[in-house]
Amino acid sequence: MSAQLKDVIIKPDAPSSLLLDKHADYIAAYGSKKDDYEYTLSEYLRMSGIYWGLTVMDLMDQLQRMNRQEIIDFIKACQHECGGISASIGHDPHLLYTLSAVQILCLYDSVDAIDVDKVVDYVKGLQQEDGSFAGDKWGEIDTRFSFCAVATLALLGKMDTINVGKAVEFVLSCMNFDGGFGCRPGSESHAGQIYCCTGFLSLTGQLHQLNADLLGWWLCERQLPSGGLNGRPEKLPDVCYSWWVLASLKIIGRIHWIDKDKLRRFILACQDEETGGFADRPGDMVDPFHTLFGVAGLSLLGDEQIKAVNPVLCMPEDVLQRVGLRPDLLS
Amino acid sequence: MAESKEEVDVLVQRVVKDISSAFKRHPNIDEIGLIQCPEARYNRSPIVLVENKLGVESWCIKFLLPYVHNKLLLYRQRKHWLDREALVDITCTLLLLNPDFTTAWNVRKELLQCGALNPERDLYLSKLALTKFPKSPETWIHRRWVLQHILDQFSSVAQTTEQPVESEHPDAERTLLLSNHLNRLIHQEMKVCSDAACRYPSNYNAWSHRIWVLQHMAKGNIKVFHDELSSVHPWVSMHVSDHSGFHYRQFLLKELITELSRSSSSASTIFGSSQHWTSTVPSSSHLANGERSLAYSPSGERFATVLQLFYQETELCSDLIETFPGHETLWSHRRHVYYLWHQWTQDQHPCGDGRESELNLLGTNDPGDTRPTCAIHEGNVDRQRHVSVPMEVDGVSLPDCDSKRLRRGILLPNHLTLQNEHIFVNSILDSCCNPEQKNFALAYKKWLDTVISAQS
Repeated sequence: MSAQLKDVIIKPDAPSSLLLDKHADYIAAYGSKKDDYEYTLSEYLRMSGIYWGLTVMDLMDQLQRMNRQEIIDFIKACQHECGGISASIGHDPHLLYTLSAVQILCLYDSVDAIDVDKVVDYVKGLQQEDGSFAGDKWGEIDTRFSFCAVATLALLGKMDTINVGKAVEFVLSCMNFDGGFGCRPGSESHAGQIYCCTGFLSLTGQLHQLNADLLGWWLCERQLPSGGLNGRPEKLPDVCYSWWVLASLKIIGRIHWIDKDKLRRFILACQDEETGGFADRPGDMVDPFHTLFGVAGLSLLGDEQIKAVNPVLCMPEDVLQRVGLRPDLLS
Repeated sequence: MAESKEEVDVLVQRVVKDISSAFKRHPNIDEIGLIQCPEARYNRSPIVLVENKLGVESWCIKFLLPYVHNKLLLYRQRKHWLDREALVDITCTLLLLNPDFTTAWNVRKELLQCGALNPERDLYLSKLALTKFPKSPETWIHRRWVLQHILDQFSSVAQTTEQPVESEHPDAERTLLLSNHLNRLIHQEMKVCSDAACRYPSNYNAWSHRIWVLQHMAKGNIKVFHDELSSVHPWVSMHVSDHSGFHYRQFLLKELITELSRSSSSASTIFGSSQHWTSTVPSSSHLANGERSLAYSPSGERFATVLQLFYQETELCSDLIETFPGHETLWSHRRHVYYLWHQWTQDQHPCGDGRESELNLLGTNDPGDTRPTCAIHEGNVDRQRHVSVPMEVDGVSLPDCDSKRLRRGILLPNHLTLQNEHIFVNSILDSCCNPEQKNFALAYKKWLDTVISAQS
């Protein structure tokens, strides 16, 4: 008996060049043509949805096509008394959407539109005794939230308001024998969590705590014969995992360990030639989430039609320069 | 078919009511699903109950979801009042349709906190949501919150029993009730996780929830960890691509080894030290015999148990690799098991860390003599050399008396030498024609030569 390798086959007629105009049109139109039902289903993550759409537009140098004032007003309306920001109006605040909101405001150079001091208090208030961060007042702990906390504070220039040492200690307690990280101590290594943890260690200046060769090894093993990357062993390749693995490799200075040409071919094959946008895998339905990570991945691979992207924050490098933030990368 | 806003309102209110009365009349509903049905059938409710399965006809979803969604958001913005019963019904419908709507779970948390909702009801609702959405992160998060809420309640009950009271008897009874309740809860969680793992392969949220449950509800409880290791054995053998299932075994193995390697006093607690209420649990008298013998065994027995765990896991892994060639998951599992073994044997070396008593049992050799890497670096994998030292494991060997006893009663992990790992890999490489299997075997070999050698 033999196992069938979990991978996709890229058809010869799959897109092989970057369809930037199509993608910009797809994102610009997204949201205007959605019916009640679709909109309702995804409203719980609206703020992140806006961040994905705006970031990919900025990477394609098309940010001016989006409605800046409307978005800033929306974010203002999503800030709560506690300082935290929610995914949409009437939803509860959460660190995930607080970070997305701050990222959007950085793209627009308008951080002052919200009460920054209150955001900082909110983030600070979510740190636990063991250094971990809860996602919101209900107390769920996850290394993703550690990343959200330090990324938000780094963008606001307020990292010194939390106990960074303790925060680092907690993230390191989630490191596994394979060099990777999971959501909590003892949890399985997962490319998304690894991205959060390497990003966290970059922002806190602690990348030397990683076993970069071991982690790089695990990350490279995510590349499948199709060129695409998966997030864990024996999972299918996916454009979003391609970003998380690639960005982590970039952060730890090992991006040259994978076959870049094959990955580029895989990402390009995930475009929809008719509608624009990227899907998780060739032939699937496109969405803004995979569209951002497809374009950002191509940027990290050196595509010159796209602005340079920062691997830690998944934002255009020129925006971070304006903010004055230069996260560490290993060489 | 409803068209005007008024008609939609009437329709939706009726459906929400139908769902809530279905649960009242049939408390044993165990699965939810969508019935593909594009058109409404005249004068029939879209809620269908067959045996214990609750189905919703798909035509009504596009009316139902936006309605309950907006209603809850208006309530959240204090623009529309809903009483507690209406909130319970609306969030129930909403979450069965869209379980990642965090705010709806939060509304239920508030209802739970003020006593308007029983925590068991939310364990039930989230279990049902997971039958249709087995990955839903927000559902798992809510489940952990409810469990923590119950544990906190236990904790406050236990604290009141610690107060001096006239009779000790009711306390012991109450404590027993609590521990039975806890065992039931743990059992139920394991079942929910298993079901979700069957519904979606490599279900990260389900397996990491399972780990959370053990860490928070059964910390240090060797029996529960042992039972878990046995209970997932058949499951992983049937799901050889499920890396999360194998990672769970790695977690169990690591915890068991840590626990068994501790001093005997700390290894004997029934419940975790982090759950301070459990300190009131009277004794191990009501526990299964297996646990008692493990927990109170002398360190030699515990040591033998560790060896047996490694042996069995390696055997399982070898069998599966040979039977199901070309699975990355199995090779990754092998790395982890070998790594744990390597770490454990290194921990047994005397380093002045107060482990001398255990090391006497081991009869440690000079580790320098048998550094496994030397043999490998010389390219001299000589199995004969080790025949006369049956218990040698990476520079650690057992004294004769132990090895005889172990050979009689317990199987030994004598496969787990670096040399034997190389023999295993070479035999796979020699006999296998599956290219994936070859690649994984070569990668494992490289891993042994670099990662393990660097740490030896």
